[in-house]
Amino acid sequence: MSVSHQITALQYALEKAGRHPIVVVDEPLMADGTTSDIPVVTNLTASRAVVARSLGINDHQTAAPIYAQRTGTQITPETISNDTAPVQEIVIEGDDVDLTRLPALTQHVTDPGPYLTAAHATTYDPDTKTDNTAIQRCWIKSKRRMSYFPYPSSHNNRNMRKFWARGEDCPVVFWIGHHPAVLMGTQAKLNYPESHWGACGGLLGEPLRVTPSRTFGDLIMVPADAEIVIEGYVPRDVLEADGPFGEYTGYSGPQVAAPVVNVTSITMRKGALYHDYGSGLTDMLVPDNMTMEGKVYGLCKQVAPSVTNVHVPAQGRRFHGYIQVENPGPGEVRDALMAALSYRRLKMAIAVDKDIDIFDDSEMMFALATRVQWSRDSFTVDGLSGSLLDPSTPAGSKTLSKIGIDASLPLPGRPGAPPPVPPRSIVPQDAMDNAAKILSGTDMSGWPTL
Amino acid sequence: MADIMSAANTNNRETVRLGAPWEKTGNTSWTQCPECDDWFHIGPGLLDRPEVAMHCPSCHHEFNQTDAKRLVTSG
Ligand SMILES: [Zn+2]
Repeated sequence: MSVSHQITALQYALEKAGRHPIVVVDEPLMADGTTSDIPVVTNLTASRAVVARSLGINDHQTAAPIYAQRTGTQITPETISNDTAPVQEIVIEGDDVDLTRLPALTQHVTDPGPYLTAAHATTYDPDTKTDNTAIQRCWIKSKRRMSYFPYPSSHNNRNMRKFWARGEDCPVVFWIGHHPAVLMGTQAKLNYPESHWGACGGLLGEPLRVTPSRTFGDLIMVPADAEIVIEGYVPRDVLEADGPFGEYTGYSGPQVAAPVVNVTSITMRKGALYHDYGSGLTDMLVPDNMTMEGKVYGLCKQVAPSVTNVHVPAQGRRFHGYIQVENPGPGEVRDALMAALSYRRLKMAIAVDKDIDIFDDSEMMFALATRVQWSRDSFTVDGLSGSLLDPSTPAGSKTLSKIGIDASLPLPGRPGAPPPVPPRSIVPQDAMDNAAKILSGTDMSGWPTL
Repeated sequence: MADIMSAANTNNRETVRLGAPWEKTGNTSWTQCPECDDWFHIGPGLLDRPEVAMHCPSCHHEFNQTDAKRLVTSG
């Protein structure tokens, strides 16, 4: 199976079929016709259930409050020596470095070539020496050179600009492949400057093991149990074309002017796996959205104690947030909606009651259809920060227009009386249980498919 | 609904007051059966016709508005 489009196509086909298995390609076929001896692992995080289990959470629907709590409880990383760090079992340096031997995928039609999609870039603030980590894409251009796109508002970009302002190239390390808890810990929303290693440990439930990088020593530590590490410098003031690139929006993002990396070394485990994220697929949306749920839950909870859960559905990319409330006080639903909309990526927030399953879009549609008078129950706010990758943003805009929708029920009218709304039509539970029993014992295989 | 309220003016009646125009309010009135205490919801057309007896869907008791244990109207 080829790294050019074929593995990604399989992910799309699986997603269409509603299946989310982890995909391992043992001998990926490279674009030049050779076979890589580094297996590709992708779709690792396409299933909410799998991601939750990897965090030790049995029910993915309960992950938001747990993520918020665990990333707030940081665990200091543990430093181990280079010679015991698995990720440095194999060291390739200098002219032996060849990025083109990594089985990096070319995912979408408009992508110009193979991209590292699960490369976690670690830089440090030259003022405080505090490190920062974020997942950022790299286009492999030649044996020792790749583009690198730290989003302009990112902390890595800030670190890079500081080095450049001093007239220096920016040291950077990219690490690929780790426990999903560590991958999700790198997404914790932290202050600047603040290391992510503690949040990774918090999610992992034990200290993250780190080791000094080959090129930068303890100025940049790398996760000792990662699969692959790429080290190098971002040369000062050098920008080259990068992209187009298939984004999480489901659209191809435009070509941009991006920094590049001159690679000094690659280290890896013996028998290393290459981790790829299917960009714009649930593989990438699920872990991102589950971390968002934790962050948005924390934001809402601060102003609206009645908020019990948050879901950021993959169908809405990263733009929709479903907020569940239970017995909110007057004004609390809108307080929660305002808090949710202040989160940069969310563009629409919908609040519903406890009786609506926020993990079931048909239930959300039911609430929208039957509990909302649009002029009364929705409000738009213009000029908030948001993702400019959203294809609907007007040319030149730097902010977005957002909407909050209160699809909760009116507050109870009188003590002891039912709420002033019609009750939902339901069938008694014993009859439902009986129906489920009948169906479970029925062979439906011969039924017509109409 | 206001005229019904003033016309009936019985002790079993309560009304849910309207709030500010941006606040969610309900549209449903409820009555409580004097026989079995179960609640069921009734439409404005029935509230407008006090001569038509209400029928409890749980115990099938029939009763007039003035005999309801409670009558909570919305509006
Ligand atoms: Zn009754």
